[in-house]
Amino acid sequence: MAKNRQDDMLHIAADWWVRLRAPDASADTMDQWLAWTQEDIRHLETFERVNELASRLDSLDTLSRQSLIKAFAQPPAPRRPWLPLAAAASVAIVMLSGAMYLAWSNREGGVHTRVYNSAIAQNRNITLSDGTQVALGAASTMTTQFSQGQRRVDLKNGEAFFQVVHDHSRPFVVRAGDISVRDIGTAFDVRRTGERVTIAVTQGRVEITDVNQKPGETKSGALEVTAGQLVSYDPGTSSMTVGSITPEQATAWRDDRLEFIDEPLSVVIANLNRYSTRPLHIADGDLGKLSYTGSIRTDAIDSWLDALPQVFPLRVSNEGNQVILSDVERAPRR
Amino acid sequence: MNTVTLSVHVDEIEKLFREHNRALVAFLQCRLSSLSDAQEVAQEAYLRVLTMDNREEIESLRSYLFKIAGNLAIDRLRKRKVRSDFAAVQASDEPVGESTPVHHAMAVEQVAGIRRALRELPAKASQAFVMHVIEGRDFGTVAQTMNLSERMVRYHVANALAHCRARVDEKEMP
Repeated sequence: MAKNRQDDMLHIAADWWVRLRAPDASADTMDQWLAWTQEDIRHLETFERVNELASRLDSLDTLSRQSLIKAFAQPPAPRRPWLPLAAAASVAIVMLSGAMYLAWSNREGGVHTRVYNSAIAQNRNITLSDGTQVALGAASTMTTQFSQGQRRVDLKNGEAFFQVVHDHSRPFVVRAGDISVRDIGTAFDVRRTGERVTIAVTQGRVEITDVNQKPGETKSGALEVTAGQLVSYDPGTSSMTVGSITPEQATAWRDDRLEFIDEPLSVVIANLNRYSTRPLHIADGDLGKLSYTGSIRTDAIDSWLDALPQVFPLRVSNEGNQVILSDVERAPRR
Repeated sequence: MNTVTLSVHVDEIEKLFREHNRALVAFLQCRLSSLSDAQEVAQEAYLRVLTMDNREEIESLRSYLFKIAGNLAIDRLRKRKVRSDFAAVQASDEPVGESTPVHHAMAVEQVAGIRRALRELPAKASQAFVMHVIEGRDFGTVAQTMNLSERMVRYHVANALAHCRARVDEKEMP
């Protein structure tokens, strides 16, 4: 009951806030408001709390501001369904499962090539020949091509965290699909889900380019990203969104936690499939578009699945060795 | 004669200050979204009231104080807008990629909390709220963009603001 009273007061205070906010608020409105503040000291206190939040939001950093505007104040852009990507990712995982850790090396024309991959539910720590440390996420594949003038890494699938040994004469470049990330003295995380790529910088700076950008846009199209920033590349619109992320969030997966900030459910599921012993499938394409923010323990995926129907309109069912997520509105598939 | 009038006047203003300063600052913070700006403008408003010369024509000193303060707030918002437009022009001359300095007034988790709270609301409420509070568009512009009446926009913004405040409180004082 007391809770409801508090909420009521909060709503009344917020209502006053919008009324006083208008530059043309009348003298009568002012008088009525003053009378309200004098009725009970808690009235003005509540109003001040509303003020405090509005002020805090007004001084938000540019990136958070942009991400909120993008998430709520713009009409949703038509999106390509995510299901094909998720399906492709699951196929890749089926092929990888059983394969443990594999690396082979090829020396050709002064270029050292290596392929690294990891099994489902197994993260690997790797030291490259230049001393760069790589933490490779589960079910991830990466190739390295090192030559005298360049160090090139290609993330084929999954996630990797790089702590780069900086070398001016040999730039360190990570390719993930359409996206190229160039280190400028850095530690950063790259997650590739199909053609969707997110880059989280935990230290220093990187330069990110869309390798498919039109000629003439060459240098100016590069996005310089600093520590604490998260860039998401959406292949559907070929657009990059910048947000913020803490180093702890960016590398949480190394401690068995996957962090997602505003990711489509299809991307979440594709990444969980890198850790889940049972493949997860989204049966209805629309479900994959639902946006998810939160962290998931990779050693407790089942309990996350149990809780999922409470936040999304979906049903979780087991079919053989698979887990199926289907739209709660549709009839069961059997 | 003159000095006597002024000292009575000072007394009155002291009384105004004692009784209404907190409300005045709250009102100004509501307009300016900044406590320090609100305090500055409040000072200026007292000064204006103190030095006015048409004292006899004023019916209620309190109403006059709030009116002056409201006008000063409008001026300040106007100046702010000129400054930010100027900054925007300057920024567009700079090469892309020169990222602007970022200061975190709100921790990432807090922003995530706001985001979650906004998702719990009807889409129109969160849209109106973000357009007004985050983007800084006035109610009229938001109403036009969303094809709603200004009254509805205010209703949505108030609703979203109360909801976000309640959610933030749950986090900060569970």
